[in-house]
Amino acid sequence: MFALRRWWTRHALKAGMVTLAVSSAWLLRASDGALIYETYHWVTRPLQAGLSREQQFENSYILELQQRIVELENQNRALQTLEAYEDTITPEGLRATVIGRGADHWWQHVILNRGSRSGVAVGYVVTGPGGLVGRVVAVSPSTSRVLLVSDPTSRVGAKVSRSRAMGVVRGQANNRVVMEFFEKLPDVNAGDVIVTSSYSRLFPRDISLGRIESIDLTKSPAPEAVIQLSSPLPVLEWAVIHPFAPQETIDAPVLPGTDPQNGLVPDGDGAGL
Amino acid sequence: MNPSMRVSSLPLWRRPWVLNSAVTVASVGACLLLLPSRIPGMQLLGVSPHWLLIWVVAWSIRRTQWEAAIAGLVLGLLQDAMTSPDPTHTLSLIVVGVLTARLQKQRYMQEDIVSVALIVFAMAVIAETVLALQISFHQLISMDSLYPPLGKIWLFHQRIALSSAILSSLWAPALYYPLNRWWDRYSLKS
Repeated sequence: MFALRRWWTRHALKAGMVTLAVSSAWLLRASDGALIYETYHWVTRPLQAGLSREQQFENSYILELQQRIVELENQNRALQTLEAYEDTITPEGLRATVIGRGADHWWQHVILNRGSRSGVAVGYVVTGPGGLVGRVVAVSPSTSRVLLVSDPTSRVGAKVSRSRAMGVVRGQANNRVVMEFFEKLPDVNAGDVIVTSSYSRLFPRDISLGRIESIDLTKSPAPEAVIQLSSPLPVLEWAVIHPFAPQETIDAPVLPGTDPQNGLVPDGDGAGL
Repeated sequence: MNPSMRVSSLPLWRRPWVLNSAVTVASVGACLLLLPSRIPGMQLLGVSPHWLLIWVVAWSIRRTQWEAAIAGLVLGLLQDAMTSPDPTHTLSLIVVGVLTARLQKQRYMQEDIVSVALIVFAMAVIAETVLALQISFHQLISMDSLYPPLGKIWLFHQRIALSSAILSSLWAPALYYPLNRWWDRYSLKS
């Protein structure tokens, strides 16, 4: 008892500090690091795009360029009405800037500057210039963390747009992903366009992914194709977040025609999984 | 007048141990904020320096194994918070801390910036290896693992470990030197 008390008088401060450090780190982990990403958001705020208008207006050269952009925008709008292009651009979506990358080397993440305060939730789908980027895996009030399709743990149900051959796309930690086909002899050619399939539970259908670069039909257990992603993930600067409710329960039965929006209803072109 | 009485008469925020803890916590916070950023010149093949590992090495280099292990645990939990708790980073950072504390530096090498850079190089390789082992283990025991096959994992490991080791060892002095100076001053004062 005496030894215990002596130990305590000598080490009370140290023990207290250790408990404090471990418990606060644990708390942060339990909250998915929301506090850290919030701080990161506020610290990097001056560096984020779209700020300091005053400085831009001071520079007459930039002003000139902006006027040219206005002219180009007007032309672009005219072309869009001609083509009725706006329907194919996603109607609802939240624009966000990429403010950070994965905090270690094994995960392919990006950090966006919109979070739950802007209505973003886990499972939302993120696209960018070029097509699918990934999906939201964690949110804090003003940031969200996106798992990219290039992450090795990412799986996307996909199909060849021309022949409707189905498969699964796996990330490889670079700008090329691998697609495994379900059939032994799929009808695919190099250059075919790959889009997300209607069987995908985590992504809506018909978002473009990329093009087939090479095919290996002899690969076991399933033929594989290497796909060049069309969105430039390593240099991505902004993205669009789309609301989407993923179907995560694998065993839940799906009735055809119940809800065409959930991306699960077979569209009659595949032979089933 | 004895110095401990003089110290305890200071206001709380100017006492040495409070100042020291504040500086230590602030340096960890700075490392955490540096992790998701990709500043030009700080990345190689998409990999940036492993700031938490540099911090753990700087901390453990003149401390006991237990202190090193606790630092590894705390910083590992923090990195788990920022990425994903599976596989956990606590294990690799604890291993790094304990190994650094066990190194008999006074016998084998001097404590200068170059040897610290060398230690960081080796520890970065070890940390990524521990993570790769965890992923391989997970891949082997669970049938529906999301991770890629073993060959791919170790191919990633080569690339990641080498670029992380090179970058971390080059940036190690930037963190080690000021932190070490501060802890020196603190231990002199107390």
